[in-house]
Amino acid sequence: MTSDRTLLGDRLLRSYVIFVIIVFYVPMLAVALASISRSRFFVFPIRRTSWKWYNDTFASLQIKEAALTSITIAFFVAILSVALALAGALAYARYDWKGKRVYQQLLLVPIFFPQSVLGLALQIWFSSIGVQMTWTATVFAHLVWIAPIVTLIIAIQAFGYDASIEEAAMDLGASRWQVFRDITLPLLGPGIFSGFLFAVLLSWGNFPLSYFTSGASVTIPEWLYGKMIGGYTPMVPAVGFLSVIAGAIVLIVGLTINNRLQRR
Amino acid sequence: MASKTILELKQVDKFFGDKAAVERISLEIVEGEFFTIVGPSGSGKTTLIRMLVGMDTPSRGDILLRGERINDVPANKRPTCMVFQSLALFPHMTVGENVAYPLKCRGIEPGARKARAEECLTLAHLPMEYYDRPVTQCSGGERQRVALARALAFDPDILFFDEPLSALDYKLKKLLEKELKDIQRETGKTFIYITHSLEEAMVMSDRIGVMNEGRMVQIGAPREIYRRPNSRFVSEFMGEVNVLPVTAKGGKLHCQSLGTSFEVPPGAQETDGVLIIRPEDMRFVNGEPPVNGVLSGEIFNEYLLGSRVQYQVRAGGTTLLVEKQRDSAAPDPAARITFAPENSMLFAE
Repeated sequence: MTSDRTLLGDRLLRSYVIFVIIVFYVPMLAVALASISRSRFFVFPIRRTSWKWYNDTFASLQIKEAALTSITIAFFVAILSVALALAGALAYARYDWKGKRVYQQLLLVPIFFPQSVLGLALQIWFSSIGVQMTWTATVFAHLVWIAPIVTLIIAIQAFGYDASIEEAAMDLGASRWQVFRDITLPLLGPGIFSGFLFAVLLSWGNFPLSYFTSGASVTIPEWLYGKMIGGYTPMVPAVGFLSVIAGAIVLIVGLTINNRLQRR
Repeated sequence: MASKTILELKQVDKFFGDKAAVERISLEIVEGEFFTIVGPSGSGKTTLIRMLVGMDTPSRGDILLRGERINDVPANKRPTCMVFQSLALFPHMTVGENVAYPLKCRGIEPGARKARAEECLTLAHLPMEYYDRPVTQCSGGERQRVALARALAFDPDILFFDEPLSALDYKLKKLLEKELKDIQRETGKTFIYITHSLEEAMVMSDRIGVMNEGRMVQIGAPREIYRRPNSRFVSEFMGEVNVLPVTAKGGKLHCQSLGTSFEVPPGAQETDGVLIIRPEDMRFVNGEPPVNGVLSGEIFNEYLLGSRVQYQVRAGGTTLLVEKQRDSAAPDPAARITFAPENSMLFAE
């Protein structure tokens, strides 16, 4: 009787999980389908399929430039946020100092700001202090939001092992630098790597912060938005789908490397 | 044996805010000694050892290593090293890399490093094939040995231990206690060990320092601490005891709850306070009429403690503990108990 019931429960749970997955992924599928429809406007069912829009996408200089801008921004954001976050996370997890609690809270707040408001605020701020709105300004805008998230990720790793390991290394005669190089860095490795991955993916997909601060530079999400409100072609879903695929590849490769790191 | 002081503490205090974690500790530790600091949790022993290894600095007072003040010398500049309670092995390294790490820090070339690390593995009774094994694949006892070998590789003047054996099972603990004592004797190094376990302290130490509430309350050889504790705290910390509240009355000690008077222990000042008797110093008497110093009670429980039996005796509203050899004759359930005055201890209260 109970086993029947748990069986039913298992089935219900499994169906529910499948349902949720479908609800999440069907829209992605719709984008994929829209991108291979030959007709200029999306009608369902698709009459004739074609790779035309993908060919156009790969041929477009505009899209190439947007992708390059997005990649450049993501790269700098990831490098800088990991550097900031590593120092921040160690300050947070390893040391006791006055104002630590306030720091913790201040650090978390930008994560929860509505991003369009944050973007607008940064735009006003940048123009009032005379910063040019280009992709470099966008790097800093992304950092405001992403560095705290990466700090949290690395801090979790730092809390994940006993601080006495570092003390022991020092007690065995290691200098501060030796402790950092031989103990802290290798042990934080997986966290640093995940943080880097997060930073790349979050920066790659971000629209509101880029929109307000990039000026004449155009990122992939901005390009998508621009084409959506004026001049839709099935290149929009094509680029959108490619962008998701690119993100997924980064994620899968990253997770594989991370698993290797963790296992060591 | 020429006893030379290696480590000296002079009136050492440590405050956290207004709270004193360690208060006015003075201590001299002799070269080649196995000294154990024992105390309940929160007694300040960890704070003390952290100052001794250089992970904390005293708020007041001085720490001298071979006569030189080392208060502010950081841990990595001191010729001492510690085996941590958590062992603090480097999880991303092999056994060999762990043990060789202090040598690597010192810039010793890899060949010599390996030779020395292997020596230390042998000293800690670890087989050589462990050298290339990841430290995460070692069992609890093996990890202890790795931590010990790593500390020995450092070749410290003083080796500190912060309760490293507390997480092990009884049998392994006993084995490692003996090995530790042997290694200390072989190497002739000064070992300073902290623990909350009296048993551990008794087995290994040349001298024991008992801590309570941030103070060193008694220092002495294990036997001395056991036989002649200088306070109620030490006597109770050293094992289960019978505590009888007494008032001084005409050269005798009167215990209200038991309605009996006792002799003042020889050498003690007559005073109001508590009379403390160890369970093994209590004995049953048969056939004698109730007189002063003999308590009547009723046995309501008995426990087998290895080679001894402990009886719980209800007498005059309190429970008394009496221990006997297991093979001796069973006592009468309506028991009468007594003890020799020289086996009792009187502390004023």
